[in-house]
Amino acid sequence: MRRTARILAANPLSLLGVLLVSLVIVGAVFAPVLAPFPDHRGAVVDFTNFNKPPSATHVMGTDVVGRDLFTRILYAYRISLLLAVVVLAIAVPIGVTLGLMAGYLGGWWEYAIMRLTDVFLSIPPLVLAISIMGVLAPTLVNGMIAVTAMWWPWYTRLVYNIARGEKVEGYVLAAEVIGASRIHVMFREILPNCIPAVLTKMTLDAGFVILIVSSLSFLGLGVQPPTPDLGSMVAEGARYLPDSWWLAVFPGLAILVAVFGFNLIGDGLRDVLGADR
Amino acid sequence: MIPVLRLAAKRIGTSLLVLFGVSVLIFCIARVIPGDPARVALGPNATAEQVANLRAQLRLDEPLVAQYGHFLADLARGDLGRSLYTNRPVTTDIAEFLPATLELILVAGIMMIAFGLPLGILAARFRGRWPDHLIRVLSLLGVSAPSFVWAVGLMLVFSYYLGWFPIAGRIASQFEIGRVTGFLLIDTLLAGNGAAFRSAAAHLVLPAFALALSGIGQAARLTRANMIETYETPYIEMARAYGFPERRVANRYAFRPSLIPSLTIIGLDLAALLGNAFLVEAVFGWPGLSRYGVQVILRKDLNAIVGTVLIISAMFILVNIIVDVLTVLLNPRIRHAQRGATP
Amino acid sequence: MNTLEIRDLRLSFRLPVGTVEVLHGISLRIARGERVALVGESGSGKSVTARIILGLLQEQRGVRLAGDIVFQGRNLLRLPPRERRAVRGTRISMIFQDPTSSLNPVFRIAPQFREVLARATPDLSEKAARARAAELLDEVAIPDAARVLDSYPFQLSGGMNQRIMIAMALANRPALLLADEPGTALDVTIQAQTLDLMRKLVVDHGTSVLFISHNLGVVREFADRTYVIYRGRIVEAGPTEAIFHDPRHAYTRALMAAQPRITGGGLPDIPERSDDFLAPLIEHEAAP
Repeated sequence: MRRTARILAANPLSLLGVLLVSLVIVGAVFAPVLAPFPDHRGAVVDFTNFNKPPSATHVMGTDVVGRDLFTRILYAYRISLLLAVVVLAIAVPIGVTLGLMAGYLGGWWEYAIMRLTDVFLSIPPLVLAISIMGVLAPTLVNGMIAVTAMWWPWYTRLVYNIARGEKVEGYVLAAEVIGASRIHVMFREILPNCIPAVLTKMTLDAGFVILIVSSLSFLGLGVQPPTPDLGSMVAEGARYLPDSWWLAVFPGLAILVAVFGFNLIGDGLRDVLGADR
Repeated sequence: MIPVLRLAAKRIGTSLLVLFGVSVLIFCIARVIPGDPARVALGPNATAEQVANLRAQLRLDEPLVAQYGHFLADLARGDLGRSLYTNRPVTTDIAEFLPATLELILVAGIMMIAFGLPLGILAARFRGRWPDHLIRVLSLLGVSAPSFVWAVGLMLVFSYYLGWFPIAGRIASQFEIGRVTGFLLIDTLLAGNGAAFRSAAAHLVLPAFALALSGIGQAARLTRANMIETYETPYIEMARAYGFPERRVANRYAFRPSLIPSLTIIGLDLAALLGNAFLVEAVFGWPGLSRYGVQVILRKDLNAIVGTVLIISAMFILVNIIVDVLTVLLNPRIRHAQRGATP
Repeated sequence: MNTLEIRDLRLSFRLPVGTVEVLHGISLRIARGERVALVGESGSGKSVTARIILGLLQEQRGVRLAGDIVFQGRNLLRLPPRERRAVRGTRISMIFQDPTSSLNPVFRIAPQFREVLARATPDLSEKAARARAAELLDEVAIPDAARVLDSYPFQLSGGMNQRIMIAMALANRPALLLADEPGTALDVTIQAQTLDLMRKLVVDHGTSVLFISHNLGVVREFADRTYVIYRGRIVEAGPTEAIFHDPRHAYTRALMAAQPRITGGGLPDIPERSDDFLAPLIEHEAAP
């Protein structure tokens, strides 16, 4: 772990990633303190100040009803990060457990789980989330359900491939010989070998959840107004191109910065941990 | 050739099974709408009679399994039901909107391969030096923004500010092109209208590039990783020891073996374009299947949702089969498996 | 004139943790048509020496070289990269440990052979290249050249691939052949056959050979003179027979004791390290 941290620190790109992600997290967590107009996160209207280009008071300009864009972006980060954490917190344990079962138990389990995984992976990821969100009401919780539903199979497949290889290794056989339970072998013997790959994928995925969630709300299938959301801000801003360019450009950049940060860290981790698959 | 056919047959077999699973999944998703799906679809202003009619049409009063049975029977006859949004058979709608999306995706796919693979080769060849670092940063940037952000950015710079490309749509409005294939690049050529062809091509560039960007990044990263692995092999050392030109070593002797493991994942990325097309079509007002999909989803148009997702998934699976077969065709070790080792 | 003369060659790698010297000044010479062996354990520096002669190592970063490598009167270490590359595959060629993995798995033999021939004759037509390749394959006792040329390496046996490698290595009639543990990956009998063949051919063509090996039995069969290398230093040098009859350096004796013998009882171990091993170079008198 120490060694990993040291090698990461020697890589300027990974450092940049850590910096970007830290900025995003700090911005989100301390939004109530940092945001210049905290009440602009809600349904506030200020028609004396609408559609103003970036200025000293409004560093990223104001939107069509006069709300400070910077404030709304900080608050939007809160929801994006929350979603990323919750989605991964649900999808990863489910996916990993199923992957371990399919890889280690084999037989009927393997067949059933992997065919189910194939079915989920056979619908383009975004399309699955779009159709789930389409039939459900567009709320925060449903968004989590939709994105979680499209995410777990990737972890199942990843862990399955590792577990299938580890299953025949000596240390697993040794544990079986001394009579360890299947649960013990799966979670205590095999799981630790999956951790580097899973961790790397989680770092990359934290960014991609933000990306997918913003895509859903861009299509009007995500968090509903007045709650600030990066995707719907870009969608709204796109209607005012090219004159009010800041409306679409800053929320778009906000997505790019957050996802790029996570990708830089994940990419560095992949180099160090060799968890490329 | 025989192993290729056998593999293709086997893949098509499992794929049909998976497609069956997809149809069950989509069908279930479309039926879990909270409340009465017919009421939700028709909206609060519909009369009780209208709702009852729709319930009967969708056979919502029957058990779920029976509903699915009817759906399968209809599907076997090539019938996906009627769309509430367009009031036409869903198959008709899909046939109308699919070519525009396919045209966009095909061009994006070509861009993805035409830019992604050479960038990956360059990065591997100059590993650890500036071209490698530059390509790494660009690739990561490419995958770090959703395609709608790239679409908006490209549109702002190249359409509005520079004026190099048209802003939206598939072709300038003055052109009336008879529909033959639905692919404008082909139809304009069939009509012998060069100006219309150029207009259609110009309209395609930005949406396709916005769609391709993340795929270009992925393809470049993947190619680089596999090339670097190949560079460690004895046969590359041998090629260098014999003084084969370094460019030829990269483009031929290291690239070809590296392509085989890359293909499967490139296939997945290609297929993922089907999903991202939803975002790009929305930005550029591209009259394709994805825009239709969003419309029917927002209107809770059950038949159309099921039909659209099913068609997209079928294409997704088809792309993967094609890629699998290609992998075999490119890999002599599998292609010639039946000959075995000769002394 | 010597085909190759290496004088006081030093190699060090610059690593993040500091500089590590791998070769501490080795010198050796190979006369025209002479077969010389460089013997040592893995990690002793024998394989990097071959790669320095070819100029492969110099293209990596963090490599520092000092000394002279004079090949046919020209100092390879002073040559501009372009001219150094021009020598590869034409006047110096190399045979690797595992023939099957040294041939590219996704190309048939014919195009790979043509690429080798094109190093000396760039505008060779495909047909002419094929005919020439068939001739050369005939030299290494491969009769059905047409079938072999149309095969992929994985369709051929290891021994067959080794013959192909030998044919390729000698295709452009190089002045110097570097053989790095040739055929170690093969069965012992196949290895012996292909080495015999190689020896016959280099004698016929008057090719000088630097034969790198850890296997003293093979060296004794093959080489006129032998250098023993230990941890980046040459510790003993002389005519092969002289060294085998009278190994004087402690390390050479340990190495010989460690060779498996069919009659012997198991493998005696070489001690990890011994101060005797670092004793200065012992040179045997050259045979007249």
